[in-house]
Amino acid sequence: MYKIMMFTGGVYKFNELKELVEDIGGFILQEMVMQVETMLHLAFPVEEERVIRDKVKEVGGKIKELPLAGAEIMIVVPSLGKHHAVDPMCDIAEFLRRNGAITNMMGLARGVGKRIAQMTAHEKAIIEECDAAVFVFGNFEECIEEKAKLCETLEVPYIIVGGPPELNIEHYVGNIGRRTERMRRKNEIEQLEAVAEAVRVAIDEKKREIDEDPLATSPLFIKELLDLVLPPKAGEEFSTIVQLDGLRVKVEEGDEENLKNIEIGKRKLSDICNITKSEYDGYLVKILPEAVTGSVY
Amino acid sequence: MEVKVEGGGEFGDANYEKICQNIYRDIGLQSNIDSVYLYCNAAEHVFIISIKIGRVSNPVTVGDMTIIAGEDMFKVTKELYAPRLLALLWNRYGEKVKQLGRLEISIKLEEKEMQELRSQVVYDPRGDLTTRILDGIDRILPEGARVRYSIPATGRITIIASENPIEEDWKKKATDILRKISKGEA
Repeated sequence: MYKIMMFTGGVYKFNELKELVEDIGGFILQEMVMQVETMLHLAFPVEEERVIRDKVKEVGGKIKELPLAGAEIMIVVPSLGKHHAVDPMCDIAEFLRRNGAITNMMGLARGVGKRIAQMTAHEKAIIEECDAAVFVFGNFEECIEEKAKLCETLEVPYIIVGGPPELNIEHYVGNIGRRTERMRRKNEIEQLEAVAEAVRVAIDEKKREIDEDPLATSPLFIKELLDLVLPPKAGEEFSTIVQLDGLRVKVEEGDEENLKNIEIGKRKLSDICNITKSEYDGYLVKILPEAVTGSVY
Repeated sequence: MEVKVEGGGEFGDANYEKICQNIYRDIGLQSNIDSVYLYCNAAEHVFIISIKIGRVSNPVTVGDMTIIAGEDMFKVTKELYAPRLLALLWNRYGEKVKQLGRLEISIKLEEKEMQELRSQVVYDPRGDLTTRILDGIDRILPEGARVRYSIPATGRITIIASENPIEEDWKKKATDILRKISKGEA
């Protein structure tokens, strides 16, 4: 099992840290060097945390836990109109990103109102491609209760964000209603922390399920191989997005066969994963459990 | 600008008060509106908003927003109205008008013509006041409440909004509310 953390610091002995991560069987998920400042997203075996922390102390950097790292989360609002975007939608997304998640944002085609609110099958399919969803439903108790029924059939963990502090709805986080300005005050940051915490709880549950029935291989390992076989183009970011039980891979037309034929141990990628075209972007690679595929190595 | 919100619950009322303030501040009408009253009934999905129009500032003339800065040249002192001024000048004098810098405009005119130009209205806030107030209302009311019914009254804009057809009961209730708040103001 891998732990994902973020390192920030200077360039002093920076390469030594990278080498150490690779030596202990970890991965560099993201790397950003800004003049003399560096930022790394590191994934390493959980039992090696002490070694990494010691090295970070030696190079004089900081290391922070990313509880939502390795998860792709969809933020859903009733519409993309000025009533719901950009605040609080982008505030929530930004805060989840700070906690390591990759976020997508989505406005429903007919999600506004109370009686008339709908979620189409296509929208539901797109939301279910992600690891979790956050619905932002506004100020009114009655409307939130009605719209919460739309989410009940979802097969991914979700939380509902709304205005009233407390509601008798499952996975509900209150105190974030409609907003016309950015959430930047202390109490507002605390509310965003509550949302991130609720998402973490929902995702941890899914992680536990995966631990009970482990995957054939780690999505992080497949990402590492993918980046070697189908390297991202210059300037392209997030060509491969890691999910809890797979990946979203953005490959060009004609590269699908290469994707399917990537060798993982003794097997091909298509043998140990379900590869489907995403309804939203790229291809979805869902890794099958080891119990189904047998040993890969 | 006074804002009063009722019927949305403790959180909803406080939140909508803030939304009204912020939206009219963004549109730039806070000083032109005396009061905003919003009644929310989310259970039946009916919203009533009533806005009392206050004092509106005088029309802005070319003389108000520019100073003469040399022969055949003037300088814009209120940049906010510069695009409207240029549109007015180009429309009237065509290629005679030259924009020398961000705020400098040159135009060759007779003394009499120049005097006449300086009294020309560049922007009349009364002209688009209703449109801007309605834009604000559109931003305040929940997006799903697309069925609208307006109640005419002097110096006031009142709108009932819902996602359902608006029934006579609500029209009557809105008229009663309107009467009550008008009486309170008197």
